[in-house]
Amino acid sequence: MNALRRHRALSRIWASDPGFRGWFTTVNHNDVGRMFIVTSVFFFLVGGILAMLIRAQLATPRSAFVGPEIYNQIFTMHGTIMMFLFAIPLIEGVAIYLLPKLLGTRDLAYPRLTAFGYWCYVFGGSMLLFSLLVGIAPDSGWFLYPPLSSTLGQPGINSDFWLLGITFVEISAIAAAVEITVTVLRYRAPGMSLTRMPVLAWYLLVTVVMILTGFPPLILGSILLELERAFGMPFFQVEHGGDSLLWQHLFWLFGHPEVYIIFLPAAGVISTILPVMARTTLLGYGWVVAAAIALGVLSFGLWVHHMYVTGIPHMGVAFFSAASTLVAVPTAVQVFAWIGTLWKGQPQLRLPMLWILGFFVTFVIGGLTGVMVAIVPFDAQVHDTYFIVAHLHYVLVGGFVFPMMAALYYWLPHVTGRKRFFKLGEAAFWLIFLGFHVTFLALHWVGLLGMRRRIYTFDSGQGWELVNLISSIGGFVATIGFGLVLVDIIVNAVVATRGVRNPWGAGTLEWAMPTPPPAYTFASLPSVSERDPLLKEPRLGVGLAKGEGFLGDPSRGRRETLCVETASGRPAYLVTFPDNSALPFALSAVTGGIFLGMLLKAYWLIPLSILGIVALGVRWVWTTGADRDRGPMDVGRGVSLIPAEEAEDPPGWWGSVFLLLADATLFGSLLFGYAFLWTVAPNWPPPSYLAPDPVAAVLAAVGGLVAVAAFRLAARALEQGGSAIGWLILAALGAGAVGAAAISVMVARPDFTAHAYDATLWVIAGYVLLHAALAVLMALFLAARGWLGFLGPRRRGPVRVGQIWADYLLVVAAIGLGAAWLPGAFA
Amino acid sequence: MTEILRISVPMTFWLAAFSAVYGLQGFICSRHWFEAEVEGLTVARMALVGAWLLVIAVQVAMLAMLRAERWASPEPTMRFVSVTLAVVALVAAVWSLVPVATTSICY
Ligand code: HEM
Ligand SMILES: [Cu+2]
Repeated sequence: MNALRRHRALSRIWASDPGFRGWFTTVNHNDVGRMFIVTSVFFFLVGGILAMLIRAQLATPRSAFVGPEIYNQIFTMHGTIMMFLFAIPLIEGVAIYLLPKLLGTRDLAYPRLTAFGYWCYVFGGSMLLFSLLVGIAPDSGWFLYPPLSSTLGQPGINSDFWLLGITFVEISAIAAAVEITVTVLRYRAPGMSLTRMPVLAWYLLVTVVMILTGFPPLILGSILLELERAFGMPFFQVEHGGDSLLWQHLFWLFGHPEVYIIFLPAAGVISTILPVMARTTLLGYGWVVAAAIALGVLSFGLWVHHMYVTGIPHMGVAFFSAASTLVAVPTAVQVFAWIGTLWKGQPQLRLPMLWILGFFVTFVIGGLTGVMVAIVPFDAQVHDTYFIVAHLHYVLVGGFVFPMMAALYYWLPHVTGRKRFFKLGEAAFWLIFLGFHVTFLALHWVGLLGMRRRIYTFDSGQGWELVNLISSIGGFVATIGFGLVLVDIIVNAVVATRGVRNPWGAGTLEWAMPTPPPAYTFASLPSVSERDPLLKEPRLGVGLAKGEGFLGDPSRGRRETLCVETASGRPAYLVTFPDNSALPFALSAVTGGIFLGMLLKAYWLIPLSILGIVALGVRWVWTTGADRDRGPMDVGRGVSLIPAEEAEDPPGWWGSVFLLLADATLFGSLLFGYAFLWTVAPNWPPPSYLAPDPVAAVLAAVGGLVAVAAFRLAARALEQGGSAIGWLILAALGAGAVGAAAISVMVARPDFTAHAYDATLWVIAGYVLLHAALAVLMALFLAARGWLGFLGPRRRGPVRVGQIWADYLLVVAAIGLGAAWLPGAFA
Repeated sequence: MTEILRISVPMTFWLAAFSAVYGLQGFICSRHWFEAEVEGLTVARMALVGAWLLVIAVQVAMLAMLRAERWASPEPTMRFVSVTLAVVALVAAVWSLVPVATTSICY
C-alpha cells in the first residue's frame, strides 16, 4: 500500500459526516478542538464588547449611557464570560486540538465525551448569553457573594442564570479534564515514556488535574446556593443556621486555583514556543516539570487570602500569608528556565516571540503590583479600588491572553497549512500592547486616586476625568488591534499561499504530519526514543505517511490507536474508537433539560430529563465492547496486542478513577461545609438531631458490603468461565439497600427548610442515593451485557469498572450516613 | 500509576496536612473547645505544635523513602522530579505552619 492509498483509506475511516449534519455528529478532536477555540473566541468578543461598554460609560463623569442596573449586569457578565466562557474553554480547545498530535496518537481517549463537553459548553453559554440579551443577566459580581446573590438580595431570576449556566459549563470542563488526564497518561506514541513527553503535556496534565479538584467546590457551592434559591434550603442564611461565609470558602477554594489553571497552560505554551524561537531546547526539563506540579498543588493552599477582610484570626492569616509566599519559588524557577533557554540559544524576533516578550513585560509588572497588594497595609488602602482591577488585568491579559496570541501565531500554520504574508500581525501587536498598557496604567493611577471598582458613574471634580478618558481611549486602541488580528487570520485563511510542513523547525510530533492535519492525524504511529523526535529525524513525517510506524495498515477498517503503559510508554493494548454519533449532542441537550427545569421552575422536566439521560447513557455504552474474546491482534512492526476490552485496566477504568477524583472532591467539600457550619455558623447546634436508625444502618452496611463483594465474585466467575449474571443482580440488590438507607434519612427529617442542618442531611443523603442508583444501574447493565454474551473469561474489564463504583459507594455511604447519624447517637 | 504517586503524594500530603491544621485551629477557636473545657490554650498550643512536628516527620520519611533504592523511581529524571517535589513539600510543611509556634491562636 502506498502513502496515497493509505491516506485515502484512513480518510474514509476517520471522516466526519459530510455537510451540516457533520457539525452535530463529529467526534474527531480536530473538529471539536477547532469548534471549542472558535466558540471561546466568540465569547472573548462578547466579553470585549462588554469591556468597551464599561469604558464608554466611564469615559466621562456622570455619563448617561447606562444606569446602575444595567451596569451591574455588564461588569458581572464581563468577568463571568472572560473567566468561564473564554479562558477555560480556550484552554480546553487548544488541549483537545493539540494533545493527540503532541503525544503521537490519533485521538483523545473518549471522542464522544469530547463532543459532549463541547455541547454542554455551548448550551450553558447560550443560557448566559440569552440572559444578557434580554437584560436579566447576573448582576452581583463575578464571584456572586450571597446575600447579594441569594433570594434576599436578588429575588429575580438573574443569579439563577449564573448558577445553572456556569454549572452546565463546568460539566464540560470536568468532561474535558477526565479525558485529557487519561489521554496524557495512556494514549501516547509507543516509546514515549513520561519523561519523553513534550513539556506542554505535563503542564496540561497538571492543569486538568487541578480542574478535577478545583471545580467541584464551586459546583457544590452553586448547587447549594441554587437549592437555597429554589427550595429554601437555608445554607447561607444565618437565622436558619446557614452562613454566607461558606460560599466565600467554596468559591475561593475554586477561585484561587482558577488563576493558576489559567496561567499554567499559558506557561506551557511559552515553554514550548520559546526554545523553538531561540533555536535550542528547553533548559532544565526536570526543574520545569517539578515547578509546574509544585505550583499546581501550592495554589490550593492559598484560598483564604481572599478573605482577610472577613475577620479571620491572626494565626489563620499568618498561615495563608506564609503559604502565599511559597508560590514565588516555583514561579521563579520557571522564569529562570526561560531566561536560561534564551541565553543558550539564538533568539529570533518572529511574531510569536514578540508576543512572548509582551508577556514578559506585562507579567512582571503584574507580579510587582501583586507584591504591593500582598503587603497588608497597602492592601487596606487600595482594596476594592481600580488598582485591583488593573493588577488583575495585568496578570490575566499579560499572563494568559498574550501567550495565547503567541500560540495563535505559532500554530496557525499548522491549522491552516498556509503562511502569513502581510505584516498585519505585527501592527496588531503594537496596537494591542500599547493600547492595553495605556488603559491599565491609567487604571492603576485612578485607583491610587481612590476610585472604587464596580461603580457605574463618578462625579467630576475629583481629578479622575482625564485619567478615565485616557484609559478609555487606550481600550479602544487595543480593540482595534484585536480586530486587526481577526482580519489577519481571515485574510490568511482565504488568500495566503501554502506553507512548508514544519515552518519553525520545531522538534515536537505535531509537525510530523501534513498541514492542515488529516482527520486521522498520523498515517502510522511513530516510535519515540527522545523528547524532540523531529530534531534528530526531520523527515519522520514522510516515513510515517509511508506506513513505517505502528498501525499503518488500515485493513480492519476501524478507528484504531494504541494505549501505552503509563510510565514506560511500552505499548499495552489496542483501542478501537467509536464512529461519528449524534449521541453527544442529544445527551447534552437532554442534560440541559435539568438546568432548564430548574431555571423555569418547571420541575416536571427534571425527572423526565433524568430518564432521558439514563436511556441515552445506556445506549452510549452499549455500542462499545465485543461479543467474543478476540485475543492478541497485529498492530504492525511485528507486535501483537490485546484489544482494550480484554485489558485488566480498560480506558473506562482509568476514566472512572479520575472522574471519581472529582466526585470525591465534591463530597469532601460537602463534608467540609458540614463541619464548617457546625463549628462556625452562629445558630448551631441545631434544635434537634437526627435519631440514629439501627435498621437503616444495618441495611446500608450489609448492602454496601454485599455490593462490593458481589462485583468481585462476578469477575472471578467470569475468569473461571462461568456466568456473572447472578452475582451482578445480587450487587444491584446490595446497592439498592444502601439507597433505601439514604432515603430513610430524608424521611426522618422531612422539613429541609427548617435549619441548615436538615438541608445538609438532605444533600448528603441525596448524594449517597445518587451513587447507589448509579451502582444499581451499572450492575443491571452489566448483567444484561453478560446475558447477551458481551462478557467473557478475557472480557472482565467492564465488571472491574463497575466494581470501583461499588467500592466508592461503600466509602461514601459509610462516611456520609455516619456523619448524619453519629451526632444524634452521641447527643 | 506508581510513578504518578511518587510525584504527587508528598505535595498532596502537605496540602491535606496544612488544611487539617487550619481546621484544627478553627475548631480550637470555636465554642466547642471551650465547651469541652479542655485545659484552655496551653493544650491548644501543644496540640498545634505537635501536629506541626508530626507533619514534618512524615514529610522527612517520605523524602527518605523516595531516595531509598527500594522505593525510588528507576528512571533518573522521574527520580529527580519526585525527590525535588518531596523537598518542596518538606519546606512547605515547615514554613507554612510556622505560625503555630509564633502567633496568638484566636486573636
Ligand atoms: C483587554 C480588554 C479588557 C478590558 C478593557 C477590560 C476592562 C475591565 C474593566 C474596566 C473592569 C472593571 C469593571 C468595574 O469594576 O466596574 C473589568 C473587570 C473584570 N475583568 Fe476585564 N477587561 C478586559 C479583558 C479581560 C480579560 C481577558 C479577562 C479574563 C481573562 C478579564 C476579567 C475581568 C474580571 C474577572 C473582572 C472583575 C469583574 C467583577 O468585578 O465582577 N477582563 N474589566
Ligand atoms: Cu488568590
